[in-house]
Amino acid sequence: MADEFEPSVIGFLCNWCSYAAADQAGSSKLEVPATLTTVRVMCSSRVNPVQLVGAWLRGADGVLVAGCHPGDCHYQTGNFFARRRFALMRRIMDTLRLDPERFRLSWISASEGKRYAEVTSEFSRHITGLGPNPLRNRPFIE
Amino acid sequence: MPGIGLYLCECGPNIADSIDLDLVAAEVEKDGKVARVERFKLLCSEDGKKFLAESIKEHGYGHVVVAACSPKQHQTTFEEVAAGVGLNPHMIQMVNIREQCAWMTPDKEEATGKALRLVRAAVSRVRYHRALEQKEIECNPDVVVIGGGTAGVEAARRIAHEGRKVHLLGVAGLGSEPGADDAPAERVEELKQDPLAEVHEGCTVQDLLGFFGSFIARVKTREEEEIEIRAGSVVLATGAKPFDPAGFPGYGYGMLAGVTTVGEHARAEDGAPALGTDRPVKSVAVIHCVGREKLGYCSGTCCMEAMGFARRLKQSSPETEVTEFFRDLCLPGIGDDGFHRETEELGVHFVRFRDVEVAQDGDGLAVRYQAEDGSSDSLAVDAVVLAVGVKAGPSNADFAGMLNLGLDEHGFFQSEHPVLNPVGTVTEGVFTIGSCRGPASTSDVLIQAGAAAGKVLSALVPGRRMKLETRTSEVADKLCTGCGLCVAACAYGAVTRDDARRVAVVNEVLCRGCGNCAAACPSGAAQHRQFTARQLDQEVTQVLG
Amino acid sequence: MGEQQPAGRSDVLVIGAGLAGVEASLTLANAGRKVYLVERQPHFGGNVIKSEEVFPNMECATCMIAPKQSDVIENRNVELLTLTDVKEVRGEAGAFEVTLRRSARYVSLENCIGCGACFEPCPVSTGNGFEEGMSQRKAIYVASAGVLPNAPAIAMGECLRSKGDDCTACRDACMFDAIDYEDKDEELTIEVGAIVVATGYRLGDAGLPEEHGKGELKNMLGAFEFERLRASNGPTEGEIRTRDGEAPKSVAFIHCAGREELGYCSQVCCRYLAKFARYAFDKLDGVEVYEFVREESVPGKEAQRFVEATLKKGVKLVRTAAPPKVSGNGAGVKVEYRANGKSESVNVDMAVLASTIEPAEGAADLAGLLGIETDRFGFFRTDGTEPASATRAGVFIAGCGTGPKDMPTVVLQAQAAAAGVLKLTGN
Repeated sequence: MADEFEPSVIGFLCNWCSYAAADQAGSSKLEVPATLTTVRVMCSSRVNPVQLVGAWLRGADGVLVAGCHPGDCHYQTGNFFARRRFALMRRIMDTLRLDPERFRLSWISASEGKRYAEVTSEFSRHITGLGPNPLRNRPFIE
Repeated sequence: MPGIGLYLCECGPNIADSIDLDLVAAEVEKDGKVARVERFKLLCSEDGKKFLAESIKEHGYGHVVVAACSPKQHQTTFEEVAAGVGLNPHMIQMVNIREQCAWMTPDKEEATGKALRLVRAAVSRVRYHRALEQKEIECNPDVVVIGGGTAGVEAARRIAHEGRKVHLLGVAGLGSEPGADDAPAERVEELKQDPLAEVHEGCTVQDLLGFFGSFIARVKTREEEEIEIRAGSVVLATGAKPFDPAGFPGYGYGMLAGVTTVGEHARAEDGAPALGTDRPVKSVAVIHCVGREKLGYCSGTCCMEAMGFARRLKQSSPETEVTEFFRDLCLPGIGDDGFHRETEELGVHFVRFRDVEVAQDGDGLAVRYQAEDGSSDSLAVDAVVLAVGVKAGPSNADFAGMLNLGLDEHGFFQSEHPVLNPVGTVTEGVFTIGSCRGPASTSDVLIQAGAAAGKVLSALVPGRRMKLETRTSEVADKLCTGCGLCVAACAYGAVTRDDARRVAVVNEVLCRGCGNCAAACPSGAAQHRQFTARQLDQEVTQVLG
Repeated sequence: MGEQQPAGRSDVLVIGAGLAGVEASLTLANAGRKVYLVERQPHFGGNVIKSEEVFPNMECATCMIAPKQSDVIENRNVELLTLTDVKEVRGEAGAFEVTLRRSARYVSLENCIGCGACFEPCPVSTGNGFEEGMSQRKAIYVASAGVLPNAPAIAMGECLRSKGDDCTACRDACMFDAIDYEDKDEELTIEVGAIVVATGYRLGDAGLPEEHGKGELKNMLGAFEFERLRASNGPTEGEIRTRDGEAPKSVAFIHCAGREELGYCSQVCCRYLAKFARYAFDKLDGVEVYEFVREESVPGKEAQRFVEATLKKGVKLVRTAAPPKVSGNGAGVKVEYRANGKSESVNVDMAVLASTIEPAEGAADLAGLLGIETDRFGFFRTDGTEPASATRAGVFIAGCGTGPKDMPTVVLQAQAAAAGVLKLTGN
């Protein structure tokens, strides 16, 4: 039933900023929803929107990509590329009949453990509210 | 096939109390993808590392997953353990079940579920790891220093050392101007006598090719000969230009008689400096902050230079009235406040202005200014000397083009990081020092010259081969269409297009391993060796449960 | 290289593991040198880690320096010795013999995993110096959350055990066998070819009224106090509050407070006070911000724009010929000044004075041990046209030990010191 819905959310975290923030959230024993499981990348610019489409098709209810604040990217301009790519990806999400609100791009610096916990909690609640990904359980998608 | 070895660290009670490791082990064993699951109380301890080493060796694993704390804590630790028993360190994948699972998930059942997803993700992923070999290349320990002013000469002096040669190129025709930045003649002579230094004066740099460890400078000498100089590193010390007050009628430079700049008098001999007027000079105004508003920054050196000039003037003709007009007095050096006090004691007057203008006043000049309290006033003088700021030289754009360097909005070279790597640039092995990267006092210049020497001496050691980073990106020729999107994505100039073969090529010396090119690539030709699309895909599939 | 090098000739001692010491060590380690990086505090990172954000990009300070700190810990060529200082120096350039004094930590760095279970049971509470006394710590403590190494130390002078009590509260709480009351101070002697002094600065009180922070002047702060209020891992988790726990509605930043008294400009205060103004605007809705300025000292291509952009956020800039007079006024601070020929005053909830950059504690003693000169202000003197060399061969200096400077210059000077070492000791 709707209130038993536990979303599957993926978080892509960049090694230098958001991954460190997540570690800090843990070290500070802040609660982060277990429904969000993370994948580490070196830079938010590594995340390819095409791969995310794969995630949507496999039934991801929400995807969060978190990188360094603009101007602070460890690799100079990576997060600017990420920003542009995901702005574009959002525009095509409705062709998949997916609510673009299922995707979130966030900037979280390494010292913002508290913010990491806040962003992930809020996003998980938001996804729970949106309900399951309509593409989940479509039989012809593996 | 030895298969995959999975190790679960309990981290004392930190993980064991919050996650049902028995359940995780049982479920993973059922999946059938790992050869065996082992647990240990504290893998990072001496006992733990010993256990891990012996176990990996005994079972001959080709792939290992360690579920423990954050890789930021102990990835290096476990990689060293692996390497110690002959397993390529890239064949280990760590799973963060402590900071990002046990510690942030109070409900044990939820934590266990999350840990299981993360461990499965790592097990699936590690199958696609490759045993990356660390490559080494020969590199040239020599250095090319471009620019024969104080910055270049001081850098060359500090770099020249046994085992490496330094080439100092004094460039002409690229905007460098004689002036206060000239190195003392003795220093240049010293360098010319040094067998480890080669000084080429008055040459033109036509092109700079290559990359860190093997640069080639194509140079036209003063005698019109074209030569090639090979070096491992390049230091740009191409200087800057003084701000030109001509064209700003408010200063009267080039329009009114008796208006000169401090720079024109920088090397005035003892005796009254020529002040641009034939009239007898009984009073002089020295105006600071010329160009500051237009340039948008304070050049930081002109206040001290202006005071130095005022003192020389006062000392050569003590009866002359000297007044310094300034917006702010910039005295950052430890002895500068003292210098200012002494200058006042010599009888030099100091007046703060909000606005200033130089105008003709009968046969002489008047400095009309608005004081701090808003009132207007005027001082009649016989001559005016302008302390002008510093602006970027035009050659910066040429070198930036040759070496893929960034220029800031003022035209100065951009640092790789303004705090952590000021003289470094995004192009590995290329350093910028002195006023070509921003206004710099003599003390700044000397420190920067030393810093470039420090970076070079530590990175390029004669006889030592350069070890290349393994976690870099690569382009599969067969899949590459030569579209060049990856070239544009790289902030470090590490990806170039081979026009002959019409494919992109990643230079492993320059690649920093961000993976941006891999995400930009429409055909999947560009991949990050340790974050391939397939590896990430495996993680995503398992993480979704 | 056929020649036999004298023992220890290529090794280097770096004294002080703040920004300068870390940079010098990593540059030297990268060249293949063995570096002894000695730090008298139980943690390292110096004064940089006290800041939340740093100029010019308002970048997170701890995040910025974290990769360098990890490098230091992981680098095989760097041996980090915390709770260690220099006792004696013998020898000469190329062949120094140094006796180091290592104070007992009472906690094993091998066994401790930094879980923090030992803090709660400790019965002794005292003011935390790192937090400028604005919060408490225990006798077993880390200076602040996130410092490295992530392991506590016991301040034995405060511990009940030093007073004869057999308290074992912390050891009982430790599940990793990391606490050892039998740990002892020890001395070790090392042989190095060169020494780099990177002992940094002390943020001084020149120009601040003696009673600042207490009683009538409780809302009169120095720079580090304001910085720690803004720090996300600080005593108020990043919220700027008066001593009474209220959000101030007005804050005054006062430049050049101690300049006249010291006789030199601390160089970075115009920039950090602009940074502080940004902190205030970020965290306090509708706050009134005053900057009392004598001289806007903003050299370099970034400083002026940073300050001007800050002023545009609505700073009330007041130019004064002399620094204003500050006094307590009920809960707040009264600022009296002369501007445009008139005497004026304004009441604010909080005032922050530009603390001065002064020689670090113990600088004079260290200079004596090393045989290097200091200038009339107590800073280490540099050798003529070698800004990273001390006045004795084989001894180099980096950082604010030679005088106030901004962070980029500290890093550059450290790299220059490394160049000096590499050239002296053969590269």
